[in-house]
Amino acid sequence: MLEASRTGALAAPVRQPLGWGGLRGFVERESVFSWLIITPPVLFLLLFLGYPFIYGVYLSFFHKEVAREPAFVGFGNFVKLYNDPIFWQSVRNTIIFTGAATILKASGGLAMALVMNQNFKMKAFTRAALLLPFIVPTVLSTVAWQWIFDPGMGLFNRLLILMGLAKTGPSWLGNPTLAMVSIIMVNTWRGLPFFGISILAGLQTIPQDLHESATIDGAGTWGRFWYVTLPSLLPVIFIVTTFSIVITFFDFQLVYVLTGGGPANSTHLMATYAYSLSMGAGQMGLGSAVALSMVPVLGLLLVILTFYVRKD
Amino acid sequence: MAQPAHGKPTRRDFLKVAAGAGAAAGVTGAPWVVRDVHAQQKPKVIVFARESSYVKNFDVHFQNVLMPAYEKEKGIKIDYQIQAAGGSAVPQLVAMVENKSGADLAWVQQEWLYREGLVDVTDIAEDVGKQQGGWYDEIKRLSIDKGKWKSVPKGNIGQLMNYRKDWFEEAGIKSFPDTWDEFLEAGIKLKAKGHPFGMSMGHGFADNYSWLYPLLWSYGVTVMDKDGKKVALDSSETAKAVEYVKRLYKEACIEDCIGWLDPANNKAFLTGQISCTNNAYSIMVSAKRDLPEMGKVIDHGLNPKGPTGQRYHALVPVTHGVFAHSKDPQAAKDFLRWLMDPKQFRPWIASGDMYFAPYLHAFDKVPEWDIEPRVKPFQKVLETGKLTSWPAPANRQHGEVINRWIVIDMFTKAITGTPTKTAIADAVAQIKSIYS
Repeated sequence: MLEASRTGALAAPVRQPLGWGGLRGFVERESVFSWLIITPPVLFLLLFLGYPFIYGVYLSFFHKEVAREPAFVGFGNFVKLYNDPIFWQSVRNTIIFTGAATILKASGGLAMALVMNQNFKMKAFTRAALLLPFIVPTVLSTVAWQWIFDPGMGLFNRLLILMGLAKTGPSWLGNPTLAMVSIIMVNTWRGLPFFGISILAGLQTIPQDLHESATIDGAGTWGRFWYVTLPSLLPVIFIVTTFSIVITFFDFQLVYVLTGGGPANSTHLMATYAYSLSMGAGQMGLGSAVALSMVPVLGLLLVILTFYVRKD
Repeated sequence: MAQPAHGKPTRRDFLKVAAGAGAAAGVTGAPWVVRDVHAQQKPKVIVFARESSYVKNFDVHFQNVLMPAYEKEKGIKIDYQIQAAGGSAVPQLVAMVENKSGADLAWVQQEWLYREGLVDVTDIAEDVGKQQGGWYDEIKRLSIDKGKWKSVPKGNIGQLMNYRKDWFEEAGIKSFPDTWDEFLEAGIKLKAKGHPFGMSMGHGFADNYSWLYPLLWSYGVTVMDKDGKKVALDSSETAKAVEYVKRLYKEACIEDCIGWLDPANNKAFLTGQISCTNNAYSIMVSAKRDLPEMGKVIDHGLNPKGPTGQRYHALVPVTHGVFAHSKDPQAAKDFLRWLMDPKQFRPWIASGDMYFAPYLHAFDKVPEWDIEPRVKPFQKVLETGKLTSWPAPANRQHGEVINRWIVIDMFTKAITGTPTKTAIADAVAQIKSIYS
């Protein structure tokens, strides 16, 4: 009897009607819930990033002029770019710009964070004020920088003249070298708070005990920084630097507003060159090929970042 | 986009109207509803994109006079949408054509990049030409493509030498230099007195090519040959022109000008940093409004003559184009025809003090040219002006050369240390690659 009832129970499991309780149970399963949570951002990314990206990849293999049907050219656009000295100049400029600006932002951001980690009056206000460059829209702040760089009326040259360091002051945007220095300067100014605040957050997670132990072991200020603070901050610095490289590599607005890539292409970055080819010259395929040429660098950085995060 | 009040009646249209008129149906009867769906075929709104204008009155007249008049007459509202100014407007137009969305018609610039996205407006352009004294020949080379008018020219934004008459006189220069050599001589004198020239050579729009192209032409050089098949830039005269610009920059100009974008020369002139630049007369307009003392001492000079004895000016044309992607191109064309009628067009042009000089001979002797004597020289630009593609066709490749600043950068490279021969060879190689 017992056996029979047991068999019967196994043979005919009780089926709950799929009411609220059943649906709730279904949704609360980890495999279902995680998909429910992740689906909206995935759809969003596919729609607003995936589609343009795939369309860009598609265009880069076509001779596509604005208002005309595309014609497949295989790697023709990339071959054309390979033989284009302006493209290579924009690659060089992008590397110099990204390298210099990232080094300045990382070192300046570290210094900023160390200062901000001290106790002083108006600390909260100062921290908020230092975020301003990051908050102000880039186009707006860049227009202000245009005035700062003005040869006759700009702040820099006025200061140089007032301090007796120059008679007229240099041409910040008219000299190819100084124009590159200028765009690096503005990018550094804008990106510094991102480093500063991120590293500051990292600084505040370092246990005080470590500093105290190091002090007992005879470490001075420099020793504590070198053997305690810096190693503890390295993961944060690494991640922030990687993100910054990606963002700086793709910078467009700043250069577009300040120099348009001039003089004589000395500040043309890959992003501004891609834009000028696509939207100015109407060569959508060629412009997409320039943009796509940036992807391997981005991909490499993302791989490094992923490995580092996993290792950690 | 033109938004139809009622297009071809659909089930949804019927349901909408039927629901709204449900109560009335008992009184008026069902056949009324069906008639209503068919009653209006015209759009409610036509979207007209335009450049952010330097001449406020021109837009004020359009908004306060023309838009209400058209709505009153035809029952169609005009949505007059502002875009970026100058070169920045071109990417927006390109985006509209490529995405097949946006305005129904626009003030078009650099249409050579997207003529396929514009509808045939031959009927309007030919009627306007017949009505208003005929079109200037040079503009036909822009607006007519394969025998069809793809745009109706609106006007030329004249570019001339803007200079400080008072400072020129102080330096002993009584009249504006007639040749490029005299121009250099004047620049050297003025720079010595702390008033350098500021000739735009950066990655801007118009202010750079509006003097560098005429300078090349006046040296007997063109970028392409007449058929647009062969690069004509590779010549000894080009080298002479480049050498001249190098000297002009070093001896007479402010250092900054090789990096200038569009507004930079206006700013430098109005802040008293330079004594001469090539620009539209917007500098004088701003000075008269905001700096009346300076407004009195600004004057305009023609581009100087070159070694060939010829004087040239570059046209900066603005035309009207109707987009093929418009839901109702015919409605947009009807509006354009109405706008170009002398009853509307002439007062509109007059409201802008001839800033946009029409390419129509009917305007050659209109009294509006005499309102401000310092504007009068801009009429000469129409007579001696050439498209930047001249003498070659104004095609896509030419647009690419302009928008990638190939010729402009030939000069700036030479200025910044590249040997003249190399700078020319680089430019020629780039142009060959574009035209190949």
